[in-house]
Amino acid sequence: MALYLRKNVYKVKKSNLSHRKHLFRKQISLQIFVITGLVYLLIFSYIPMFGIIMGFKDYDIAMGVKGIFTSEWVGLKYFREFISDYNFTRLIKNTVGISLLKLFFTFPVPIFFAVMLSEMRSVKFKKIVQTASYLPHFISWVIISGISYRFFSSTGIINEVLINFHIIDQPVGFLTSAGLFWGLAVALDVWKEMGWWAIAFLAAIVGVNSDLHEAAEIDGAGRLKRIWHITLPCITPTIVTVLILALGNLFGGGLSGSNFEQSYLLGNTLNNETSEIIQTYVFKVGLAQGRYAYATAVGLIQSVISLVLIFTSNFTAKKISGSGLF
Amino acid sequence: MIKAWMKKSMEDKIIDSIIYILCALILFITIYPFYYILIISFNEGVDASLGGIYWIPRKWALDNYEKFFTDIKWLKGLGISILRTLIGTVIGVMFTTIVAYGLSFKELAYRRLYLIIIVISMYFSGGIIPYYTLLKALNLINNFGVYVIPGALNTFFIMVGMSFFADIPASLRESARIDGASELKVFFKIALPISAPFIATCILFIGVGHWNNWYDSAFFIQNKDLRTLSYLMMEVINSTQVSATSQQFGASTTTTTISIQSAAMIVSTLPIICVYPFLQKYFVTGIMVGSVKE
Repeated sequence: MALYLRKNVYKVKKSNLSHRKHLFRKQISLQIFVITGLVYLLIFSYIPMFGIIMGFKDYDIAMGVKGIFTSEWVGLKYFREFISDYNFTRLIKNTVGISLLKLFFTFPVPIFFAVMLSEMRSVKFKKIVQTASYLPHFISWVIISGISYRFFSSTGIINEVLINFHIIDQPVGFLTSAGLFWGLAVALDVWKEMGWWAIAFLAAIVGVNSDLHEAAEIDGAGRLKRIWHITLPCITPTIVTVLILALGNLFGGGLSGSNFEQSYLLGNTLNNETSEIIQTYVFKVGLAQGRYAYATAVGLIQSVISLVLIFTSNFTAKKISGSGLF
Repeated sequence: MIKAWMKKSMEDKIIDSIIYILCALILFITIYPFYYILIISFNEGVDASLGGIYWIPRKWALDNYEKFFTDIKWLKGLGISILRTLIGTVIGVMFTTIVAYGLSFKELAYRRLYLIIIVISMYFSGGIIPYYTLLKALNLINNFGVYVIPGALNTFFIMVGMSFFADIPASLRESARIDGASELKVFFKIALPISAPFIATCILFIGVGHWNNWYDSAFFIQNKDLRTLSYLMMEVINSTQVSATSQQFGASTTTTTISIQSAAMIVSTLPIICVYPFLQKYFVTGIMVGSVKE
């Protein structure tokens, strides 16, 4: 994405304004194409950005859009309110906990899976497994949560099988126990996105020079050694890129950004203790309870943390590997 | 075959076995959940609620689909989903590609500024509440337009598209321009046909995105007539989630909410399975070019 920018940005020579104006007039149709898009972005992306000031104001939805600007400033009132809210620790704990767990699992598993696929000798079987593995990526979380309900509910197929095999006596409430939500969310995320992200790594592995492998084989290196000393080092740039993407969206749920959808669709009153995150809380207090200003402030806290994360991870990546996303 | 196996070292054999077992397992856990929903959808609803169906339907029945396709609520949802996908994809693809086309010219005046504006919008957002207020002000709440207008410009595909269009030889465009073709005509008659793989990727991904979206229907629409299929499915899931015993039996005695929902899930997954071979054909070239650094 943004890396494209870096490489190809047209270096406008220190030309004078009139030259640009002349160019502009010459390219008038192209300019119209682009400017239509920018006006659109201005409306749907930039106006909401200014709406952030709601979080610092005594705003009520009855005031309309104009009220955003005319309502009274209240400073950090809503931020203080959130920090002293009894939900605060729980929300932070859940948001950070689920996000870190996802980073820990959904990021390395596709690498492992891609290496495994590349080591498979049967081309046909490899193709079948790979094709199947990214199907769930294209299925919406609504359907996935419907399916997981069938599998994990107390009358679901997993409990049924476990009871039939006398592994358990009482059905396990996978969907209704607060203690199991984090694990469930991470497992479903891995299941859904593993194959999709493996594509990027697999493409990188295919690009590894096969001479390296042959030379190592002649030198007597076994397969594990070759994977460790050739395959993995060769795909490190891809790993770093994907890691930056995952870190940048850490609190949105990493690579797939699934935190909100999972918590919203799989969360219920029984597992609320571990399933409610900042994003779902913003919805609850904002859209359902109508406390717009307060919800905006809470949402802003997460946006700011995310932005800091994007820039730090990009900065760190630049320091370590010499290349960042932007 | 056996000889080849004998020749392998112990390490090779162990690794091969592990890979095959794990991959077979992955294949199973990926496919089986969908397969399970499929057989449940073809089984009589009440019978299915007794459990014990794993591989083939016990009592074959088309009741669930019959119920689905005769229920006005589901049909409306299906119709809205199809409509928003068609309209949304056409608008989205046209708008996104035309902006990407304009930006692909390196000598475009103020191009750098334009790109900065786009990139900022990719990383910053105002959050859901200001967004909601904006939609309200634009009168898009409870309006079909909310499905197709706010998401019409896909900034990610602008970036992918730019690199595609940039590869078109400049001479092609220039000669057409000299012959008197307008920029719009060049875009439709030259740029679009040449960039077919990109356009296909764009159509497929934006289309699938529209088809799967439940979010806007859930939060920005209250009118029952405007709800999408995925929203209706979410409603059923929510109503049956906490209490597993609350299976409401319909007027007909053979179907249950769950069995009809199975049919709905299959109906909703089917279009994706249908475009899946095409998705696969294009996404590796189309998406990975843009998202992953070489």
